[in-house]
Amino acid sequence: MRKTSGLFAAIACCLTLTPTPTVTFAQTRGTRVALSAADKETAAFEKRVKEYVGLREGLEDEMPKLPKDATPEQIEAHKAAFQERVRAARSGAKQGDVFTPEAARLVRAVIKDEFKGRERQELRKEVLVEAENKAVPVRVNYPYPETQELLEMPPTLLLRLPQLPKQVKYRFVRGNLLLVDRENGLIIDYMTDALP
Amino acid sequence: MKRIIASFVAAAALTLCGPAANASGQKVAAAGAGVGSPVSLTLPLKDGSVRFMVVGDTGTGGRAQNQLAGVMTRYRQAFPFEFALLLGDNLYGGEKAADYKTKFEDVYRPLLDQKMKFYASLGNHDESNQRFYEHFNMNGEEYYQFRKGGVSFYALNSNYMDKRQLKWFEGKLEGDTADWKVVFFHHPPYSSGGKHGSEVSLREVVEPLFLRYGVGVVFAGHEHFYERIKPQKGIYYFISGAGGKLREGDVKRGSPLTEKAFDRDLSFILIEVVKDEMHFQVISRTGQTVDSGVLVNRRKNASTDSE
Repeated sequence: MRKTSGLFAAIACCLTLTPTPTVTFAQTRGTRVALSAADKETAAFEKRVKEYVGLREGLEDEMPKLPKDATPEQIEAHKAAFQERVRAARSGAKQGDVFTPEAARLVRAVIKDEFKGRERQELRKEVLVEAENKAVPVRVNYPYPETQELLEMPPTLLLRLPQLPKQVKYRFVRGNLLLVDRENGLIIDYMTDALP
Repeated sequence: MKRIIASFVAAAALTLCGPAANASGQKVAAAGAGVGSPVSLTLPLKDGSVRFMVVGDTGTGGRAQNQLAGVMTRYRQAFPFEFALLLGDNLYGGEKAADYKTKFEDVYRPLLDQKMKFYASLGNHDESNQRFYEHFNMNGEEYYQFRKGGVSFYALNSNYMDKRQLKWFEGKLEGDTADWKVVFFHHPPYSSGGKHGSEVSLREVVEPLFLRYGVGVVFAGHEHFYERIKPQKGIYYFISGAGGKLREGDVKRGSPLTEKAFDRDLSFILIEVVKDEMHFQVISRTGQTVDSGVLVNRRKNASTDSE
C-alpha cells in the first residue's frame, strides 16, 4: 500500500512538473489556416463565377454539341442559340452580381499594384490607350460585339487576378473590367474604375 | 518530279526578278506562274524534309490578301509545302458564316482543294469559337500541339496567357523530345514596330519556358509587316503579320532588334526543315524574295554564334 501510494505521488508530481504543451488549432491540424479577408472575398468571387459556369454548362448541355470540325454555319448557329438561352436564364442579371463592391475593391487593388512602378508604365499606357479605343457598349447580359477586337490581357496581371474557369475571361474596355463568356460572348458582369 | 519542274522552268521565259538559284544551284523560274512574277526558290527541296508556310493577319478578304494567296499557290507548285501556320487575326470585322467564306475559304480555295492544312492560332480580332472551325485544325482548343517529322509545333493563345495555359505548355514541353520546337502565336515578344512594339508582359512569362525547354523558333504576327529579329538568348524570332494587312513604314529604322525587315508590301514565309537546318524564304505579294537564309538548331548544336 505504501509503495502504491508512493507511485501515485510520483506520477502526480511528474504530471504537475511537466509543462502542458500549448496546442493551437493550426498545430494540431496543420492544414487549416485562418483565412484573410482578401482570401475569403476571392473564394466568394470564384464561387459566384462557378455558379454562372454551372448555369451556362447546363444550358449548353441541352443543345446539340458543336463538333471540333464545325462549319461556319454551325458555329454561328450555336453561338446565337447559346446566347439566347443564357440571356433568357439571366434576364434579371445586373451589374455587381458577380463583381460585388468587395470583389471590385480587391481586384482594383491587384490591378493598381500590378501597374505601379516605372517598369510598368509602358504596360499601363498601352492598356489604357488600347482599352480607351474600344467602342464596346458595356451592358450585363449583352454580347461583346464580334466586330470589336479584344485587348490582350497582360499575362503578369492574369497570374495575379482571381483565377477563372476556362469558359470565362477577363476583358478591359475603357476603364472597365469585364467578365465575358468565351463561347456565347455575353458580358456576365463588369466593374468600373478598374484601371488606376 | 523535282527534275521535271526544274527542266520546265529552265526553259520558261525569265521576267522581272531574273533567275535565282536554290541551295542545289538549280535555277528555278516561272513554273506555271501565270500572271505575275516568276517563282524563284531558294529552298533546297530535300526528300523527307518538313515543309510549311507561315503567315499572319490575313483575314481581310481584300484584293491584296487574294493576290498574296495567288503567289502562295504558285509557289506551292514548285515547293509543295504540306501545311501552313496562321498567326492570328484570321478574320477581321466579324465572325459570321459569310466572313469565314469571303475572308478565308474563297481566298485559299486552291490550297484547300489541294488538301493543304492550315493550323491556326488566335489573334486579338478572333473569337474563341474559331477553334471549332474545320479548316483551322485546332481540335476545339485555344492552344494545342502537333508534330511533323522531327518538329514539334505549339500554337498558343497570346490573347489570354493565363496560369492554365502556361501549366499546359510547360507540361507538354517537359516531355517533348523533338529536335526542333517551334512556337507560334499572335503577339510578338520582340518587335521593332512603331504601332505595337514588343509584348513585354507576355515575354516575361513565356521566354523563361522557351529557354528552359529548348524552344528554337518563335513565329508571331500582330505587327503588319515582316521582321526577322536578331537571335535573342539563342532563340530565333520572326514576325509575319502582313498576310492581308500592311502597315507601311512601321518598322523603326535602326532598331537594335532587327536582322532584316520588310514593310513595303504583304508577305509570307516558306520553311523547309532538313535535320538541324531550318531554311526560310520570305516572299512578297509581287513574288519578290525579300529575305532568305538558314537557321541552325542551336539547342542541339550549342552554337557559338554571337547575338
